[in-house]
Amino acid sequence: MRLRFIWQILPAFFFLILLTLLLLTWLFARNLSNFYLEETAAGLEARARLAAFQITDSFALEHSDRLDELSIRLGKETGTRFTFVLPSGAVLADSLEAPERMENHALRPEIASALTGTIGKATRYSNTVHKNMMYVAIPVQNQDQLLGVVRAALPVTTIDQTLGIVYQQIIVSGMVVMLIATLIGIYISRRISRPLEEMRRGAERFARGELTERLRVRGSEEIAALATAMNTTAYELDQRMRTVVRQHNEQEAVLASMVEGVLAVDTSERIIRINRAAAALIGVTPEEVKGRSIQEAIRKADLQRFVRRALSARDPVEGDIVLHGNEDLYLQAHGSLLRGESGQELGALIVLNDVTRLRRLENVRRDFVANVSHELKTPITAIKGFVETLQEGAIADPDNATQFLEIMMRQADRLNDIIDDLLILARIEQDSDQQELPLTTMSLTTVINAAVQACANLAAEKLVHIEHNCPPDLCIPINAPLLEQALINLLTNAIKYSPQQGKVLIEASHGDNKTIINVRDWGCGIDKIHLPRLFERFYRADKARSRKLGGTGLGLAIVKHIAQAHGGEVTVTSTPGEGSIFALQIPLKAESGNNHAAGTNSTPKNIPNQED
Amino acid sequence: MPLYLQRQIEDLKKRILTLSAVVEESFHQAIHSLEEMDTSLAQAVIERDIEVNEMEVDLEEECLKILALHQPVAIDLRFIVSVLKINNDLERISDLSVNIAQRTRGLAALKPTPIPFALFAMAEKVESMLKKSLDSLVNLDIELAREVCHLDDEVDAIHKDNYGLVKDQIRRHPEQLDALIEYLSLSRHLERIADLTTNIAEDVLYMIDGEIIRHTY
Repeated sequence: MRLRFIWQILPAFFFLILLTLLLLTWLFARNLSNFYLEETAAGLEARARLAAFQITDSFALEHSDRLDELSIRLGKETGTRFTFVLPSGAVLADSLEAPERMENHALRPEIASALTGTIGKATRYSNTVHKNMMYVAIPVQNQDQLLGVVRAALPVTTIDQTLGIVYQQIIVSGMVVMLIATLIGIYISRRISRPLEEMRRGAERFARGELTERLRVRGSEEIAALATAMNTTAYELDQRMRTVVRQHNEQEAVLASMVEGVLAVDTSERIIRINRAAAALIGVTPEEVKGRSIQEAIRKADLQRFVRRALSARDPVEGDIVLHGNEDLYLQAHGSLLRGESGQELGALIVLNDVTRLRRLENVRRDFVANVSHELKTPITAIKGFVETLQEGAIADPDNATQFLEIMMRQADRLNDIIDDLLILARIEQDSDQQELPLTTMSLTTVINAAVQACANLAAEKLVHIEHNCPPDLCIPINAPLLEQALINLLTNAIKYSPQQGKVLIEASHGDNKTIINVRDWGCGIDKIHLPRLFERFYRADKARSRKLGGTGLGLAIVKHIAQAHGGEVTVTSTPGEGSIFALQIPLKAESGNNHAAGTNSTPKNIPNQED
Repeated sequence: MPLYLQRQIEDLKKRILTLSAVVEESFHQAIHSLEEMDTSLAQAVIERDIEVNEMEVDLEEECLKILALHQPVAIDLRFIVSVLKINNDLERISDLSVNIAQRTRGLAALKPTPIPFALFAMAEKVESMLKKSLDSLVNLDIELAREVCHLDDEVDAIHKDNYGLVKDQIRRHPEQLDALIEYLSLSRHLERIADLTTNIAEDVLYMIDGEIIRHTY
């Protein structure tokens, strides 16, 4: 247990006071009693001399009565006990006791030394008066003849009493001093420890991170210096902490705002860092996976494999990762070991690049090239084949020749259609690229009616009923010929895929800042997997069927480009067996002719643009 | 020694989770191959089963080693026993995914035939069950495990309906018999996988509660 400050200084105080008092008392008492005893001894000697002077001539046994009387009288008057002793040691007279009852005094030290001619002194307890007595004995001489000894005695108890009183006073005053010392001690310890207390609280505040607080600089020089030093420390710490926090935040921000996913794992495959992009790619939140093992947090076999590979390889590794989900994500991953300052392995850093879009575009381009060659090649092959047949003599057979020529005509028409469509596409693209598409605000009903009219023949062949529904006052900024083309394409498709005597619905309605034109059929519908690529050029959901129904494979691509030229978009929802709804969305406010990029970015199905 | 045991159990957990990720991927790809009629993907699924089998054997040996060396008790014992069983279930799911992939190859060789029931909706349901059961394993989530046990009834009912639907279609179009039988097998595989995910969920519940709740749902 640690002692409080006060308990450390008080014993020292007390010890010092006690030591001083004892020393002083001892010196004082010794000097006092010495002085008193010397004074008493001198007084006794003088009295003894006076008494001796009176009795010198009558100092003999025969005058014992007179001497006795004198001794009693002297004793009473001076308060001193006188004893007259003969050289033989026999007591001649005494102030307090009858001489005959007193023993021989020759051996008493004071008398013994007086008998030798010097002054004898002694202090001892007297059995006669039962007190501590001081005895002074002087020899009485008459012409070098020792007549006897006069002894004067006084009780010395008064000095003891006096000393007792002095001791008492010293004890009492010592206590008072100690009390005062205690108070002073408390005061001093408070003075010293209060700033220390304050400093402790300050240090605790610093420890809690309240580094902006400052200690008050006051008190003694040492304490003030300490406080200043601590304040400086706090300031420095605060600065460094701020720097560290700022750097950390910067790194955090850099990491977080990276488009690439960044994932760091330690050697035991625990996730130490994951940025927002990576978390979004994987479909988790950074908070829920941090600190957990990768197996636990991210159940993606490919990614786990890659992390293991990155951890076990010495050099940076690279690989493709497929994340399966509702929509498969293709990631390009780079992994490298994380090394600490001294080169020890800390884990691995994985950088993930989403290449899904690139992959899709690659597919689109590859398919486009294959498709366009195929689409162009088919009619040409047919035409060439029939021309060859005719050259080889079939021209002589008029029946067959006519039929062949008809087929050749159909194929040539088809080729023409495809090229027309490609030209339309090219024109729309060019116009919208140069932002030259003229838009005029006009009634939508007219356009819809025109489109329905254009498809009337086709509908009549299949006995399909076209129902159209458009608010007559709906006027929007459009390019009428292009929009009509788009609607015709959609209606043609709808009619083609409708059953005999089916129904096609075209309706326009207001949306938020946009007009939506829905073309709906109740035909065979489109499988989910085709939907994202439906608007690609030459993409066919059902290859055999759609070509049989006629069509260039460019119709929907044209619709999409027309929508984009208007700053809008086209989407499709379809359920196999129940039919499809194509929705053409055109913004009410024409945004500077076209809105190519915006229109495509907001396309929900990630429909590739430009390249298709 | 308990620290060492703890580390081994940690390792065991990692292994079973890795296996579960691979199996989940296998199943997903099997279904995907079926959707796209992608035979090369189906082939990849079939080949992956070898990897899964190896992992299963390794895991089982690891479990037996820990049991023999440390003779764990209470939660550790339950964990290892559950891992043994889940390991088994996962391997079976992988086998069934292979079966599905084989059906893809079979169907790809046949004329496209409309599916008489909502196969992919059923597959989606089973996939979500698998995902939930594995999530419950990762997070030791009792609620999720219970949910999986209840979902199994729905899949069972769907399979029962499918049986009737396929039978009707066979009667109407006997010429589509081959494809229809493949579809029926698919329904059955999916139903089996759903059962196995339920087993996993039950093992998770056992691991957490120490109560065997099999045959009560």
